Amino acid sequence: MPKRRVAIYSATGCSACDNSILGLHYQVGAFTGWAEIVFWPYLRGDSWQVLEDDRQIDVCFFCGSIATEEDRHAALRLRAAARVLVACGACAAFGGLPGLVNLIPADPTEMSTSSQDTWPPLPRAKSRVSGLPGIVPVDYFVPGCPPTQPLLWACFQALVSGGESQIRASFSAARLPEAISTAVAAGVLPPHGSTFAGEKAVCASCCRAKEEKKFSRLYRGHELDPDAGRCLLEQGLICQGLATREGCGGLCTAVGVPCRGCFGKAEAVYDAGAKMVSAISSTFDAAEAGQASEMAARFVDLAGTFYRYTLAEQCALLAGASEERNDAIHGS
Amino acid sequence: MTQFEPKIVAFLCNWCSYVAADAAGVARLVQKPNVRVIRVFCSGMVDPGYVLKAFASGADAVLVAGCHPGDCHYISGNIKAMRRSFLLHKLLTDLGVEKERFRLEWIAASEGPRYATVVNEMTEQIRKLGPFRPASGSKPERSELTCRKEG
Repeated sequence: MPKRRVAIYSATGCSACDNSILGLHYQVGAFTGWAEIVFWPYLRGDSWQVLEDDRQIDVCFFCGSIATEEDRHAALRLRAAARVLVACGACAAFGGLPGLVNLIPADPTEMSTSSQDTWPPLPRAKSRVSGLPGIVPVDYFVPGCPPTQPLLWACFQALVSGGESQIRASFSAARLPEAISTAVAAGVLPPHGSTFAGEKAVCASCCRAKEEKKFSRLYRGHELDPDAGRCLLEQGLICQGLATREGCGGLCTAVGVPCRGCFGKAEAVYDAGAKMVSAISSTFDAAEAGQASEMAARFVDLAGTFYRYTLAEQCALLAGASEERNDAIHGS
Repeated sequence: MTQFEPKIVAFLCNWCSYVAADAAGVARLVQKPNVRVIRVFCSGMVDPGYVLKAFASGADAVLVAGCHPGDCHYISGNIKAMRRSFLLHKLLTDLGVEKERFRLEWIAASEGPRYATVVNEMTEQIRKLGPFRPASGSKPERSELTCRKEG
């Protein structure tokens, strides 16, 4: 079987996704056994000319959010060139941190542009940032900021190795939804639109004991050294584990860092912000309106906290606000 | 041009506020027809997700009404609704939903006239505010940002 042609591209982001792919360590050797990397500007400085021959890309891993016109063109171009397009990382999947700019809507006419004497030229910024699905149809998602290696590896095996992997009994398959792990094991493509992560909430794999649901006082991260082994939310930290998709294995919560929601909302959650409001304030330790109001007053920037990675694509009120959505290119 | 008619989604508790709405109708009180009533068993079951979903589906305002504190059929469901309302207000403000568009009211079964007053008052308020457009590009007043600048 010929090697699969693979492209990896970073739009607006921090390139941690590319580094996460490089972080596959020993698996990188096995990976290059099935894949021919034809386009990876971050690593090899490839130019767009590489894509000018008419051969299709088999799998494209697209990282980063769509924040500039260049990002949008890259998304359209790679969608047209690739048979399978994967949104890799929280930015590509949900808009990520850059998506938070959507909280303050910009007037397109007020956006700064490059004049002839600006050097280097400024990128043409879009007035609204979106994730990859806001621009083109996406086939698979690998969430996380950055995606963890087990999930990336499962994704590579499922999409690139085409059932030829010697190591199909992947160390990550156990945590994936059944449909995906079965597909990985059988060497067929997982259901279209699958997310390479768990189905439940992070709490399901968090090692901390949940005891009494009561929120008596909010602590910011620097104000409290959390007790080992007790639920962080019950100690007064904003931990978003209960609204967030699992798959990470509770890495952050295990070391006392509250979940920040980089895997996006869990399957059963309608809106992560609403879920967090409900989870935190239903258990406020207050019987009077005055007390509850005082407790609520300590919270700052709820939208930026609860939709830290997902505002552009998953917030019920602000999502889907991309300037355009080009479905035609995929011919769907 | 026709006048803007606000759409208001009202979650009314089965034991108090829904009965009050019924009583208001039976008493033939004048009420604006802008309210879409959803009967729920307790104001405490109105998850903030329902409120966001109402806005996301085109509501211009959401009213949640339950029994007065102490009168809840389920002892403390309305207290839960009260606790949530503050944080929910903050989240909505952050997302560009004006404060007037979400309201939590205590309306007892016998308070039909009060139900009519609340509904009429709210309709007129929202009519003045205009339609709610999520992500319309309007510049909402963000509570947090202005707070931080001052502090």
